[in-house]
Amino acid sequence: MMKRLTILPGLALILMLFLIPVGIVFQQGLFDPAFTTEHFDRFVSRGAYIRIFWSTLQISTVVAVLCLLIGYPIAYFIVRQPASRRPFLMFLVLVPMWMSILARTYSWMVVLGKEGIINQALLWLGLIDEPLRMLFTTGAVYVAMVQIMLPILIVTCFSSMTEIDQSLLRAARIMGASRARAFREVFLPLSAEGAITGTLIVFILSMGFFIVPALLGGRRDAMLANVISSQVSQTNWGFAAAISIVLLGATLLVLVLVRGLSSRLVHHHEEAH
Amino acid sequence: MKDRNLPLALFYVIIVIFLFFPILIVVPISFSNGRFLSFPPEEFGLRWYRNYFGDPVWMSATFRSLRVALGASVLATCVGTLSVIGLGRKRSKTSGALTALFVAPAIVPNIIVALGVFILAVRLRVSDNELTLICAHAAIGLPFVVLIVGSAYRQIDPTLERAARIMGAGPLRAFMSATLPPLTPAILSAGIFAFFVSFDELIISLFLMSSAETLPMRIWNDLRFEINPTIAAVSVFFVVVTTLAMTLAEVLRRRAEKNNAA
Repeated sequence: MMKRLTILPGLALILMLFLIPVGIVFQQGLFDPAFTTEHFDRFVSRGAYIRIFWSTLQISTVVAVLCLLIGYPIAYFIVRQPASRRPFLMFLVLVPMWMSILARTYSWMVVLGKEGIINQALLWLGLIDEPLRMLFTTGAVYVAMVQIMLPILIVTCFSSMTEIDQSLLRAARIMGASRARAFREVFLPLSAEGAITGTLIVFILSMGFFIVPALLGGRRDAMLANVISSQVSQTNWGFAAAISIVLLGATLLVLVLVRGLSSRLVHHHEEAH
Repeated sequence: MKDRNLPLALFYVIIVIFLFFPILIVVPISFSNGRFLSFPPEEFGLRWYRNYFGDPVWMSATFRSLRVALGASVLATCVGTLSVIGLGRKRSKTSGALTALFVAPAIVPNIIVALGVFILAVRLRVSDNELTLICAHAAIGLPFVVLIVGSAYRQIDPTLERAARIMGAGPLRAFMSATLPPLTPAILSAGIFAFFVSFDELIISLFLMSSAETLPMRIWNDLRFEINPTIAAVSVFFVVVTTLAMTLAEVLRRRAEKNNAA
């Protein structure tokens, strides 16, 4: 019985530095001091905030889908290698995660800038006459965010793929299925759940991005986290809190929708067989 | 078989180069001596490293970050390990819900936690305080400790501790001598993770601290106004430190898995 009590310091930490703070965010966003929708009205009535809301959703979705399209084949490649070689191939994917996100963002600034490495190289090669505008664009945000998020998706896909019984694939092949058909009918459905989970994790983490859009994006690429931070520096706590609630709500909504939809799809697929 | 895998193998190589690209760029820049950024650098030297290690502002930010990360890591690791023990091995509805609660700070965007912690700290008059920052960083590091130590704990044979109890050891002694030793590598590995969660954290520090900068805050404030190769030197220095620490953590985790499997 005493053992159960060792959970208390952890609960206290979570309570004081997570639950109560998140509760305060809701209180600040909804009460002033009586219940008010003032901050939400402000958010909805200004086109600029709505635009940032959509672009946050758009950036996160594009990054998540790009990571899935690139990461799934990479995980598939690694899982098909001999088991002795897999840890090293995964190691190479994971090492870049250990570099500070600020340092990586700095690196992209140096690479993509007007006098950056790519422009210098292209000018030197005579391929362009004037430097291209790459820094402070949505493209720069995508490149940097995919570089940061890709290892997370690969790890998630990889660990679900390693659980797939490879003899199932072999059986399908022996029964006369083509390579493509065996992949489509056996491997894809079995690895779908891991892929969806990975994509969702990337999406959720992307929604809260702050450093990359602030330093690499243009004025039009600001995300909700950047607006929250600028509202805090203007001491508009109530409005900052309301935007936080919108951010959290949108993230959870997408999570629930995709989960519901995907479980129905997977279920449907199973019934079809 | 080999030939059919070739396009995928090529794709893998390209993606790994893409993932390493930021590191590959920062290293030569950090060793350049030019005032302006050029690639490849015209002259090599240690100018930016001297700049970093010789600047009291950069140094005090570095030591502050080390201090905070160490504090947050120790706090998160102790509290997290205790929580794992309290949660127990058996999965029940309660323990599932509690685990979800412990993992939640990793999923909720840091900016929301930052805003809430900041307002709470202002109300309690503990903002701009390193101790508050340590606690906040411990809270966002806690999920990783609970996950890493939790998975190791569930693999340990519980009969060992029970045997120690039957032999007359008190609960503390039984834990210390039977359960803790096989758990140590996972705890250390979790501690290193929690350290870097704190060491790399920007937004909570930015809201909470006003008079003193952490290293990410220093880099952030520098990046917004000018692109200065000192950051390249700082980055390379910490890539080396992080790689060493993370490799150590991975080795420890592997050894723990092997020991427990044996």
